[in-house]
Amino acid sequence: MSDEARERVRVTNPLTVAAPHVRRPVREELDELSGVGDAYVRALVRSQLRLTGVVVLALVLTLGSLPIVLRVAEGVVDGEVLGLPLAWLALGVGVYPWLFVLGWLYVRQTDRLERDFAALVEPP
Amino acid sequence: MNPTYAAVAVTLVSLATIGIGAFGLRISRTTSDFYVASRSVSPWWNSSAIGGEYLSAASFLGVAGLVLAYGADMLWYPIGWTAGYLLLLVLVAAPLRRSGAYTIPDFAQVRLQSVAVRRVATVLVVGVGWLYLMPQFQGAGLTLRTVADSPGWLGSVLVAAIVVVNVVSGGMRSITFVQAFQYWLKLTALLVPLLFLVAAWRGDGAPAPVDAGDWVGPLGDGAQGLYSTYAVMAATFLGTMGLPHVVVRFYTNRDGRAARRTTLVVLVLLGAFYLLPPVYGLLGRVYAGDLVASGHADSVVLELPGRVLGGTAGDLLGALVTAGAFAAFLSTSSGLTMSVAGVVGQSLAATTRLSSIAALRVAAVVCVLVPLALSFLTGEIAVASSVTFAFGLAAATFCPLLVLGIWWRGLTAAGAVAGLVGGGLAAGVAVLLTIVWRPDGWTGTLLAQPAAWAVPLGFALMVGVSLATPRRVPATVARTMARLHTPEDLQRR
Repeated sequence: MSDEARERVRVTNPLTVAAPHVRRPVREELDELSGVGDAYVRALVRSQLRLTGVVVLALVLTLGSLPIVLRVAEGVVDGEVLGLPLAWLALGVGVYPWLFVLGWLYVRQTDRLERDFAALVEPP
Repeated sequence: MNPTYAAVAVTLVSLATIGIGAFGLRISRTTSDFYVASRSVSPWWNSSAIGGEYLSAASFLGVAGLVLAYGADMLWYPIGWTAGYLLLLVLVAAPLRRSGAYTIPDFAQVRLQSVAVRRVATVLVVGVGWLYLMPQFQGAGLTLRTVADSPGWLGSVLVAAIVVVNVVSGGMRSITFVQAFQYWLKLTALLVPLLFLVAAWRGDGAPAPVDAGDWVGPLGDGAQGLYSTYAVMAATFLGTMGLPHVVVRFYTNRDGRAARRTTLVVLVLLGAFYLLPPVYGLLGRVYAGDLVASGHADSVVLELPGRVLGGTAGDLLGALVTAGAFAAFLSTSSGLTMSVAGVVGQSLAATTRLSSIAALRVAAVVCVLVPLALSFLTGEIAVASSVTFAFGLAAATFCPLLVLGIWWRGLTAAGAVAGLVGGGLAAGVAVLLTIVWRPDGWTGTLLAQPAAWAVPLGFALMVGVSLATPRRVPATVARTMARLHTPEDLQRR
């Protein structure tokens, strides 16, 4: 201790020797799954889950209500197209394009979420 | 129908299936090739293969038969079988691919780090697979009997034998080619005869279906009808993601994004196909109403060309439909056998001295023989309804496991086992009671369509028991969640 005490001591402003504030790449945080990396993953999962929730809700509101709607509409709406009752056309034909539209919108949005996440992790 | 044409059609489909399988054999060499075609199948091939594998006897023959017998209510079956893929897309497709596992038991182990969950899941995969294979073999027997007056067992044994040869020789790679081919064969085999049938129907002055009044109603009677409709929706919407042969297909995608593309194309392929069978049902009501009374509604697709068109045209188109039906049995049974045998084979390889490829081959033989024997013992159940048992079981067990495993960090091994066992027992016992006891009234309805209560039960057990065992949340959960949800190109290389 006494030897070291005699060494020359440099007295400086703490700000100049303190480790400069370096932003670590998110990429590293993600690989190490540090607190920050985990928070990024949680945010991604939350945003994906919200999107999934919207699509599921849309499906439940449309297809889920169809049995009741058709039951109520029976007798009220006697519409016929090409000689077939509306219920047949709705169930036999109309549902399928709707399922595709929901799927297509979902894929577009989820790709966007992942692109945003990628831009955050590895800035271009 | 002319038995010679039908026999030629069945022979051609069988030879084509074995031939395409043999083509795959030359390129399938490693274990990875065997199990998942080295994960290099493009979305287009993959979705054709999914369509080919998924459109079973229930879709090809069953839907038209149900529409003929019971009317518009039955349109909920094909809707559910398609909507199941939308839910699969938004809930599990990409994360499941990113989990990097081959099968549902693999997923369970990766996510929960528990061998116990793996074992329970393995038993359930076998159960769902056998429930689904049985009606395929029955349908094959029924078809060959209808078109060629052969003994009932011949069609079943023929399909079983071809499936075993295919799986044992080529594995998944050849299965992928076979399945993709069979989707397009099935679509053609329904579409071309239908064009002729509709033309003939218009030529007859477009007669209206017999007894349209009580039959075109959109729903069954009263509250029980409404319950049944929602229960069918629950089983089919949520069961699709848990079917072993559907799940295993997602491992052959290049990455999570490709898995989504594949699922989207599947929605198109299924939607296009399911436009056709109800029209057969409607035309059946005009020309073949007697099939309902004689209990042969399932054969309406096979009967119509001969009845409406007659002559050589009827015979040829009838042979085409027969070929499509056989493609349906072969493709679905191949896919199911492959996936169930994959799961059983992995356990066999882990516990015995067999190499993994030898274990897969042994498992494939066992996985075909048991449901084949069962199909002889249980007699005939309507093809589409026994398929629904398999959907209900998958919905009550694997749907909660996949959805909670992918989206909820709190899931524990204890919770997963509780949900799998509880949901599985509920759905399984309900099916058993329905077959053996056949109760009437509300009891019968609740037992015949258990999904509407068994699925919530499975979810409740998994969540409840997981919340009660918070210390058993695996330490790896943060790492696993990052892997499931981060795009592949961002993951640690």
